[in-house]
Amino acid sequence: MSAPEVYSIAKSPISCHSFNADRSQVAVSLNDNDVQIYDRRGKEWQVTETLSEHDKTITSIDWAPNSNRIVTASQDRNAYVWQQSPDPQTGKMVWKPTLVLLRINRAATFVRWSPNEDKFAVASGARAIAVCSFDSENNWWVARLLKKPIRSTVLSVDWHPNNVLLAAGSADMKARVFSAYIKDVDKRPAASVWGEKLPFNTICGEYSSPAGGWVHAVGFSPSGDVLAFAGHDSSITVVYPSGPAVYCIRINTLPYVTLTWTAEDMIVAAGHDCQPIVFSGSEGGWAAVGSLDDTTTGGAKAGTARSGPVGRLNSAAFNTFRNADSRGHNADTAGDTELLTVHQNTITSVRPYEYSSDGSVARVSTSGVDGKLVVWNVSAVSTGGLAGRLGGMRI
Amino acid sequence: MADTAFRKIDIDIYDEDVLLETELYDPDPRDPSQVLSDAKQKQGAVRSSLAKSDIPGALDIALDSAPYGPNVDEAKNLTLQTVVTILNSTKSSDISNVIKALSQDAQDTLMKYIYKGMGMPGWGDVSGSVLLGWHEKLTEIAGTGCIVRAMTDRRSV
Repeated sequence: MSAPEVYSIAKSPISCHSFNADRSQVAVSLNDNDVQIYDRRGKEWQVTETLSEHDKTITSIDWAPNSNRIVTASQDRNAYVWQQSPDPQTGKMVWKPTLVLLRINRAATFVRWSPNEDKFAVASGARAIAVCSFDSENNWWVARLLKKPIRSTVLSVDWHPNNVLLAAGSADMKARVFSAYIKDVDKRPAASVWGEKLPFNTICGEYSSPAGGWVHAVGFSPSGDVLAFAGHDSSITVVYPSGPAVYCIRINTLPYVTLTWTAEDMIVAAGHDCQPIVFSGSEGGWAAVGSLDDTTTGGAKAGTARSGPVGRLNSAAFNTFRNADSRGHNADTAGDTELLTVHQNTITSVRPYEYSSDGSVARVSTSGVDGKLVVWNVSAVSTGGLAGRLGGMRI
Repeated sequence: MADTAFRKIDIDIYDEDVLLETELYDPDPRDPSQVLSDAKQKQGAVRSSLAKSDIPGALDIALDSAPYGPNVDEAKNLTLQTVVTILNSTKSSDISNVIKALSQDAQDTLMKYIYKGMGMPGWGDVSGSVLLGWHEKLTEIAGTGCIVRAMTDRRSV
């Protein structure tokens, strides 16, 4: 079992991250108005460039692997597409921003390039998703808005591999699948499980979170035939539209805020519980199989936590208070406030990092509020942490 | 001190496309009067289960299709009363086994009633210490996720 690669990038939260195609560079936002580009220097990451154009906090970054363009979304209601071009004086390659006219009157919350990289979708607080494509005649990006029937802030989007369908999770407790077909850009898509005729703003599916939680994250499976979403009601739902079958897994820890498919039968989800959890299943059913974070190897620390409370409460600090309360122990581990997980705070984003030869994701990267960037091996699933937690359920 | 009165302005009345409370969850398909008669019927069924000291069975009945939404306050109070009666008549050593016998749905609903009870101290037979005992055991078994679901769910009981 290979240990995760842990990089402590910053003292401040990392709100989002995106690697370039060969993973030699990563663009992150440290919860402020700038995008920092880090270069890999051996085992370290060093800031080489800062992209400053937004005047409010950046909410999302996506780096297109093939066209090498970066798109950023921010609370200032704008999106910029960044492209590298040579500086006229020095000849050095620099990132040049292009403003995108989004026509939204609230913060942009999330952005993703489409698979063909000729469109991108910007989710926003204006109850709308801006689908942007490049107008070469006028040399700018134009946006078309997906509005109906969104009732609240859109928190995440994900593209179907056919470059046309778009999934969106929103704060009105619904996950939806839209058509984002744009006549001049897209070829007519082949019929799929989501429908045949797909003009712009067709609603191909609408699904509620089970206990009324905001839908924080959505994701299409690699084939695009299955949809998964994570809600703030501590649940993950997997939808097979052709079945039609809907599997809802209620978890016993704090909610997930981000998820990614690693293969047709596997999802990695992470969030307020500070560790990436692996779910596995098929059309027959889904279940959690374990954590990528091996919390049981913490030695003595883990031993004290084993029988203890659930999830994020499973920390040395909590146990110190509990021992002081129930057994009158005086805290000899005072000041030890570390969680037993690698990430010490909420994980903000989990993304595919490296693909294996069969097309499945071999490694995923996570960024967290603790300022850490971690690369995990997907095959290294530790069932110990989960079993430990389940063990706590036995009385 | 800056003027903060503007924070109290109801800006929703200027919004033509305001999001209403009723749009946030699917309404109960039952009629309010039927919800009430269901609740009364369940109270009777719970009493007979309790007489046989079948706590898990009684709790299952009480937590099934709990009343939610507007216009069913009487049924809500009746069901809370029923649930509290069951909770009070359970030996503390049995609580864990009773909770483990419940479905996830029922566990989530039970958490809602525990919080509702805690919010109404002294109402009926509500006893803080009993509720806290149940809350501790329920959290051990169903986790913090159960608490999160009790908080997010707009279908409040």
